[in-house]
This record gives sequence, structure tokens and C-alpha cells, in this order.
Amino acid sequence: MHDITVVDLSRWQFAITVLYHFLFVPLTLGLSFMLAAMETVYVTTGKQIYREIAQFWGKLFLINFALGVATGLTMEFEFGTNWSFYSSFVGDIFGAPLAIEGLMAFFLEATFVGMMVFGWDRLKRGQHLAVTYMVALGSNLSALWILIANSFMQNPQGATFNPATMRMELTSFTQLIFSHDAQAKFVHTSIAGYVTGAIFVAGISAWYMLKGRHIELARRSFRMAVLFGVLSTAGVITLGDALGFVGGQAQPSKLAAMEGLWKSEAAPMPFNLVAFPSQKEQVNHDQLQIPYALSLLVTHSMDGTVPGFDKLEQQAVGRIKNGIPAVEALQTLASKPGDAAALAQFRAHEKDLGYGFLVQRYAEDVSKATDAEIGTAARDIIPEVAPIFWSFRAMVAMGLAMLAFFVLAVIFSLRNDIVRQRWFLKIAVWMIPVPFLACEAGWLVAELGRQPWTVYGVLPTWMSASTHSVGYMIFSLVGFVGLYTVFIIAEMYLMLRAIRKGPDEPHGDDPDRDSDPMLNNSAKAGPFAGYAEG
Amino acid sequence: MKTLLLFVLFMLIAILVILLAIVLGDSGAWYFAWLVGTGMIVLITAAGGAMLDAQDEHAALETEAGTNAKRA
Repeated sequence: MHDITVVDLSRWQFAITVLYHFLFVPLTLGLSFMLAAMETVYVTTGKQIYREIAQFWGKLFLINFALGVATGLTMEFEFGTNWSFYSSFVGDIFGAPLAIEGLMAFFLEATFVGMMVFGWDRLKRGQHLAVTYMVALGSNLSALWILIANSFMQNPQGATFNPATMRMELTSFTQLIFSHDAQAKFVHTSIAGYVTGAIFVAGISAWYMLKGRHIELARRSFRMAVLFGVLSTAGVITLGDALGFVGGQAQPSKLAAMEGLWKSEAAPMPFNLVAFPSQKEQVNHDQLQIPYALSLLVTHSMDGTVPGFDKLEQQAVGRIKNGIPAVEALQTLASKPGDAAALAQFRAHEKDLGYGFLVQRYAEDVSKATDAEIGTAARDIIPEVAPIFWSFRAMVAMGLAMLAFFVLAVIFSLRNDIVRQRWFLKIAVWMIPVPFLACEAGWLVAELGRQPWTVYGVLPTWMSASTHSVGYMIFSLVGFVGLYTVFIIAEMYLMLRAIRKGPDEPHGDDPDRDSDPMLNNSAKAGPFAGYAEG
Repeated sequence: MKTLLLFVLFMLIAILVILLAIVLGDSGAWYFAWLVGTGMIVLITAAGGAMLDAQDEHAALETEAGTNAKRA
């Protein structure tokens, strides 16, 4: 029997390391394609300033990329060290995308990053542009595989449990890759990275404009960032809805937690705009509702309904009772692998094997599980509602705020009026942390909402952890927190230093720049003459 | 006032586009949408940069023309 404190500490350690890692990932995903767009303008127009723009943002990309890779490495090992039962149980499925992700990250992405950084003077323009596109594609395809693996945990597709090997085995790689959850999750996450990159570039460019430094670089970067951002934000909201729609069908308990839905209701269901969910009483306090909105949001129809926790708990009782014979059959098969009766019993109940595991936490001999123990196990299917409920609302609110920000930013930028809108530039600087927080909130919803499962409906979290001692877990947790604190200080120092320093000043002997009439004209006689950098 | 109206108009367009995508994409081929969408986002972004240069050139020419007219 696992020590629940060790399981909880393993969860804390994974949550801290993955949330920390995900501070770097979205910026890599988004900034890489922004660099591709900037360099595309350089290659197509030949204007030297776009090379400087791409090189400057490339430097910030590199700092972020290095820390993203370093913190990502620990995640891969953590599956083996802290979640060894999980790794052996689903390794056949989880291992393949994880391995491809590693290959993508270290061979495709890292190789081309090296060529992108050191190849400016060694490659032709077109060749370097192709390399930059490969970096962007490599970063995002690397994320694709880890998100496919995560989607399997949210909505297991393309695999089945083999009682002969006592583990899950892959039955369809196509089903694994093309599950609706994987598709919606990848695009939602990837485009959330685009939004992060856009706000990052827009915010820093706004800071330069406020300071009156590097105006030409900042105006162009801002224009490109806000166009990139407005389209991406529209995409991220659309895919957020798609993910909610797909995920709601696959994980009804997560959806019920996101909406604070304790009791099932008839259609059309109201949406809880604000509420204070009480886990103990299983009610919401002080709720403010929008009539009909929930049915529309989660089922896209006025007569659609989704089950509340009352119904889900009731269903779980039935599924646990159906899963118990499957667990008993496995116990027999463990000692007598060829037992035909046990195998037949397993096949008849295998659909609810995971639910049988749920009650094993309270009754080691599941055949003797009491109704009270089954009831307690059934209540476990309700995740911690309040943090999921509020993380979801925080994410949505930040998403809508970013959409409004980008729409206004596009108007100012297209009018070529942005440098004069100092109040808006100040807002742009303060917007920089928002997408990072929104991404973290999104992952909290996804991962807290999946509880009590590591693989939804198949493998409970309490069974998945390794059997370390509490002391070992506390020691490694403190070690990670200490090390990552040093990392974040190093990252912030390097980023701020690079931002304060700004882009490398153009060389005087650069023929492209000297002969560029636009650059010289706009600095001397254009509408922003007064802002030209000194 | 003009900015506010433009903001409201563009927000409405953005919301309309999002709603359309939601209705059409209940079980959409999202990988394909990502490929096409990313390409489109990158190209529109690049076009935005080039457009800024064109706006600057136009403004510079107008300023120059204004100065010449005053001299004349």
C-alpha cells in the first residue's frame, strides 16, 4: 500500500517542476514563429533593420530556450523516478511519444537553433530563413508529442490493458495521435504560446517606445507582434472552446469542477459566472449566474445538459462494483496466468478496471469492500473544485483581456499612432506577465481536473507513484525549489540585461542600411522624427 | 470617439469569427487548421511589417512635398 504523503509530495514536486518548466515553453513556441515572420520580411524586402530585429529577438529566444530545455530534462526523468508504477503501467504508450519528443527537441530543434544563432554570416539569406522556420517547426512539433502523451492521460485512446503482461499496450498509434483531445490540446497550447510571444515582444517594444530608445525597431516589432497576437488570441479562444467541448465529453468530472456543478440540472443550464464552491458541503455560495449560458457553452445547443457530481458519484458507485471482479480476476491471473475462468471474468469487467483500483485504496482485499468504502472511493472522483473553478475563470478572463488589448493595439499600430499613445504603451508593458499566468492557470485546470486519475478512468493517482520515503521526497522537493529559484534569477538577470542593452547598434559600413531610403527618410522626416534614437 | 467605434467594430468582428469557428469546428481537423493557420498568421504578420515601411515612406514623401510647396 502506498504512503499517501509520498503520493502527495510526488504530485507537489511534479506540479512545481512542470509549472516552472511551462514558464519557458510558451515563449519558445511563439517567439520562434515570430522570428520566422521577422526574418521573412528581411529576406523579401532586403531591409537591414529586419535582420537586426530578428537577431535581437533571437537573442532573447535563445536565453529562454536554454532554460526551457534544461528544466524539461528533469521532467522526463521524473516519470521514472517518482512515477515508476505509472511508467511501467502505460510505458508502452507513453514512451513512444515521449521518445519522439526527445528526438525532436534534441536533434531537430537544437541542431537548427545552433545553425540559426551561428549561421547569420555563414548561410545565405534564404538558407538562414529556412533554418529559422525549422527551429519554429521543431519547437512546436516537439511540443506536439508531449501533448499527445498528455492527451492520452486525459482521454486514453488507442490502447488496451493486457492481463498477460499486466500493463497497457498500444493498439493504434493513429488513434493515439489523432484523438480529438490531442488535436485540440496541441493547437490550443501551441497558439497560447504564440499569444505569449506576441505580448512579450509587444510589451518590450512598448517599453523601448516609452524610453524613446530603438524606436524604429520597436515600432516594427510592435506592429508585427500585435498582428501576430490578435489572430492568435482569436485562435486560442476558439480552440479553448473546442478543448472544453471534447474534454467535457471525455472527462465529465473535470467539466463539472470547472463549472462548479454539484447537482445535475435540466436544460438550458445556467453558467456560474462567480461562485464560491464548498467541497465539504458540495454547494456553491454566493453564486452569480448567466441563464442558459452553460448549455450553449459546453454542448453548443439550448437543450444540451452535462451531469453534475451527484450523478457522476452515483455512476462511479456502479462502476466500482463492476470493476471489483476485474481486479479480483487480475489477482488470480497474477498467480495462475492461464486461468481461463479468471480471464473470462476479467474480459467481462475490464471496462471498469480503473474504478476497481479506486476502492483498493480503502480495501486491500477488494472482494471484502464494504458499501461505505465503495462510497468513499466514489466520492474520490470529485477533484478539488474551487482551484479548478477559479483557475478556469482566471484563464478565460485573461484571454478576453488579451483579445481586447490586441484589438486596440492593432488599431493604434495600423494608424501609425502607437508612439503617441503613452498610456497604452504603459498597459502593454504591464501585460507581459498575463499570458504566462493564463498558461499556468490552463494547466492547473487540465491537471487538477484529471484527479483522482493519472490516466483518466484507467489508473488512479494513488497507485501511480514510486515507493520512496517521505524524507527522500522532501529532500528532492527542497532541492528542486532551491535549484529552480537560482535558475529563475539567472533567467531574469540575463533577459533584463539583454533588454536593457537592446539590439546591437548598426555597423556604419553596412551598405544595405546606408542605402535604405526608408530608414533614413523616416528617421529624419517621417512622422516619428522626434522619436528617432540618438 | 472614432477609436472607440473602431474598437467596438473590430471586437465584434473578432467575436463573430470566433463564434463561426466554434460552430464549424465541433470536431474539426485541428492539426490541419494549425498548419494553415500558422502559415497565415506568419504571412499576415510579415505583411504588417512591410506595410509599416510603406506607410513611413508615404509619410516621408508627404512631408517632403509639403516642404517643397512651402518653399515654392
